[in-house]
Amino acid sequence: MSLFRLFFVFVKIGAILLGGGYVILPIMQNEFVEKRKLITHDEMINYFAISQSLPGIVAANISMFVGYKLMGKRGALTAMFGIIFVPFWSIVVLASVLYMFINNIYVIGAMWGVGVAVVALILLTTRELWQSSKRDLFFYLIFLMALIALLVFKRSPIQTILIFSVLGVLIKLFTKREVSK
Amino acid sequence: MIYLTLAYEFFKIGLFSFGGGYATIPFLYHISEAYSWYTVKELTNMIAVASVTPGPVGINVATFAGLKTAGIFGSMVATVSEMLPSFILVILVSKILKKFSQSFFVKSLLETLKPISCALLLSVSIGLLKPQIADIKAMILLCVLLLMSRKSKKDPLFYIVIAGSIGVVFSFL
Repeated sequence: MSLFRLFFVFVKIGAILLGGGYVILPIMQNEFVEKRKLITHDEMINYFAISQSLPGIVAANISMFVGYKLMGKRGALTAMFGIIFVPFWSIVVLASVLYMFINNIYVIGAMWGVGVAVVALILLTTRELWQSSKRDLFFYLIFLMALIALLVFKRSPIQTILIFSVLGVLIKLFTKREVSK
Repeated sequence: MIYLTLAYEFFKIGLFSFGGGYATIPFLYHISEAYSWYTVKELTNMIAVASVTPGPVGINVATFAGLKTAGIFGSMVATVSEMLPSFILVILVSKILKKFSQSFFVKSLLETLKPISCALLLSVSIGLLKPQIADIKAMILLCVLLLMSRKSKKDPLFYIVIAGSIGVVFSFL
């Protein structure tokens, strides 16, 4: 894939990034894992998790990971400028006009629908990730504890990732000997 | 000079905001108090506009705030400065992961990230679902979209366009 082509793929992704940054994962899965097979499913999930634990905008972080993986530093820069291209110009050109449309009932209606589509896409991605994972005791243990931390104890994603990745690595370390036997 | 201050403030946001777009908002409130580049009222409008246009809200608001403060060049400075820390960190982390990809720690770390990501995605879905759960129309639409995916896997854009159009149609009723 050329740098130019990569730029346009990211321009397209930026343009359909509606309803918040969350849809970035399903969209990237579709573009880079399924259609183009340039990134593996596992790599994409890793980028997603790591992007959540780094500062900055998650969608931009994932894009730069993929850009870097495919074409190094230039790839990461291309991804960065590609992903913000449409969002940037839509703000610069439309911002002054959009004030008038925020309360328009059709705009509200469309955003309502987009909001439902976003939930559907995230649910589908969750299911896909679930099905593709090797679900052993370790998986269920970490999954359940992380879910409880997020939902019951209201920990932030970054706190959850930090706590449980340390815990997970420790568990792996202690069970290492048995596994390697 | 204003460009330097803009670059500094938005670089800071990029470096210290964890957890996606809305995490940048407290910083933007701080800016409105510290610099009077825009008012709190204007910020509220910016956030509303930023959530309707495509792109992550955190970046859109940066573009908007830069534009408001110092015109189109200002919006470029703000947007790029906000992403610069990520750019540097992503490259560093990628290099580290590549170098140590065969080490026990990186391998088990990546294996641990899978169940955590599952939990994260599920909690995001639940968080997004909560405000919609009482909305019967939204729940029916959600079921239809999920059932459609069983037939064949489609482009995410397909779902966004279909659901958005249905939303417009509903607003006529």
